[in-house]
Amino acid sequence: MKTILPKLAASVAVSCALVSAVSAADVIKIGVQAPITGQYANEGQSIDYGVKLIAEQFNAKGGVLGKKIEVITCDDEAAPQKAAICARRLVNEGVMAVIGSYTSGATEAAQATYYRNGVLQTSDGTSDSLTEKKYWTFFRNSFQNSAQAEFTAEYFVNQKKYQRIALLSDYSSYSTGLVDAVEAELKAKGGNIVFKDRVRSGAQNFTAVLTRIKALNPDVIYFGGYYTDGGLIRAQQQQLRIEADFVGGDSNDNPDYMKLAGSSAAGTILINFPTPEFLPYDTAKQFLADYRAKYNQDPASIWALMNIDGLLTILHAMEELKTEDTKKISDYLHTLRDFPGITGPVSFREDGERINTKFNVYEIQSDNSYKIIF
Amino acid sequence: MDVFLQQLVNGLTIGSLYALVALGYTMVYGVMKLINFAHGDLVAFSAFAGLTIYTQLFDDGTTSLVAVVSVFAFTAAVIAVVGVLLERLAYRPLRTAPRLSAVVSALGAGLVIQNAIMLIWGPNMKIFPSDLLPSTVYEVGGVVFTFTQVMILGFSSVLMVALFMFINRTKMGTAIRAVAIDQDAARLMGINVNRVIMLIFIIGSALGAVAGLFLGIYYRGISFDMGWQYGLNAFVAAIIGGIGNIPGAMAGGLLLGLFNAMISGYFSSQWAEAFTFILLIVILIFRPTGIFGEKVAEKV
Repeated sequence: MKTILPKLAASVAVSCALVSAVSAADVIKIGVQAPITGQYANEGQSIDYGVKLIAEQFNAKGGVLGKKIEVITCDDEAAPQKAAICARRLVNEGVMAVIGSYTSGATEAAQATYYRNGVLQTSDGTSDSLTEKKYWTFFRNSFQNSAQAEFTAEYFVNQKKYQRIALLSDYSSYSTGLVDAVEAELKAKGGNIVFKDRVRSGAQNFTAVLTRIKALNPDVIYFGGYYTDGGLIRAQQQQLRIEADFVGGDSNDNPDYMKLAGSSAAGTILINFPTPEFLPYDTAKQFLADYRAKYNQDPASIWALMNIDGLLTILHAMEELKTEDTKKISDYLHTLRDFPGITGPVSFREDGERINTKFNVYEIQSDNSYKIIF
Repeated sequence: MDVFLQQLVNGLTIGSLYALVALGYTMVYGVMKLINFAHGDLVAFSAFAGLTIYTQLFDDGTTSLVAVVSVFAFTAAVIAVVGVLLERLAYRPLRTAPRLSAVVSALGAGLVIQNAIMLIWGPNMKIFPSDLLPSTVYEVGGVVFTFTQVMILGFSSVLMVALFMFINRTKMGTAIRAVAIDQDAARLMGINVNRVIMLIFIIGSALGAVAGLFLGIYYRGISFDMGWQYGLNAFVAAIIGGIGNIPGAMAGGLLLGLFNAMISGYFSSQWAEAFTFILLIVILIFRPTGIFGEKVAEKV
């Protein structure tokens, strides 16, 4: 047995190498790194479905540069450790670009691996730190936290004129980054912050911290975390009869937020990009119709669509440049202006940051529909 | 004062759920000297099973008392069967083996249950309907509590008192206490030890099932990996109270719930979990047998 094993391993390795050498020649491999399971599963699945839909549509037209697109998905469960493993695996599979991940933490954990291997990465992660490293491989298809923070502070101080503001985040790099940025912007604009604390994502019981907030009698509770906690915080806020507005950051914008908050969802204020149904672009309407026809459901949120825009810009660059060279594609994308994406015109700055982002303020109505209020 | 009383209500609610789960740990430990690490995952399993039983049988838009009681009874019965199977398959074959083997088996069984939940119900969060119990909110002197909280506190108190009476006042209870003290002597006295152990698993699992369902109703969102979190807290509660001691598990659960709420309420929720373990360490240093635990002389 001992003598056979190395030979067996060697022959397996050789045949694997042959298979990948053959397949590498006639397909373009695109990786999806997203939370397919776990608490953000429906966001991750939407990204995966969307990428597969676009790949199918391109393949039906003959692919890109005459090659078929092959999508390889790796589930990072929104966990940084798993994200690092996914990055390794996708690089080994020979992908030229990776779409994802959904959370900033998982994106950041994978970033360096893609950078070192020259693999393009586009993510909707909003943590400012993602573009601060200035990796040429990285492109943000959403917007950075500080842009949202500035808009939020402006709305709180100059529109709503809130006098007493309570801030809550979880421990993720996205959430702490967003709430710290909101705090800084509020202070700059003269807003009065009466409370700031963090909660553990998935803790479920937020009554203790909410009771503490209640005693401070705030006008507004701002939660810059994810919908899985936001829905419960909102429900428990109403249950404790805390008469304050509840404002959720972008990641509370998800249909499951309504399910978790139940009847308490009504009156919630969300600050986000336009939601899919409010997107005025023909490309968006077409994509949503195709998605619905194929999967018999809607994408979980705007985030999946922004990831699709990231994919579309990369495919567009490949077609324009007629190359698979990731460095050339990157150089092209850094100067890309107003590409007609699903979520609006896409332009990237020199550091991979998406520019021209526009926010809306929504209020959830009693029938769970959205109303734009600012 | 309002804030203090409110934190008291918050803490007692979650504490009584910890206590129900902790009872499962403590009873198994009391009789078998085994820490049933699969118990937390069994609690998670009961939340999913309960949700399925509810949506399959009773979700017709109206919630009646009969429906709610039946869901609890059904779920408790299903989980009791799972508990008995767990004992038969994972623990009984190892009863005479070194204790470490049984602990490893328990951890393995926990993983099996957790993955079974993921395979049956999927990896995504599932959400309990909001109308299972009336969403009435009461307010007394500035302290707010919901109908669900009243149900949790009331129901778990009744169950704990009933269990206490059962253990101390019935013949079966005496048999359980006898097996806990000395299995061989109990066997010589004509007690069917296997039957007692089976009973322990039935009661412990059923209590865990009630806790799991309440967790689902109270917090709405349930996920396949939630068992670890609640299991760990309940395990700490059982240790604090003195593992193996039934009133100790009840007191430990309530104490831990209160302690968590007060730390989150007066200090910072960032530190609540760290303090849970600091409390555990302090208790283990100054009173290694827990609050209610008695010093037991090692048999020679």
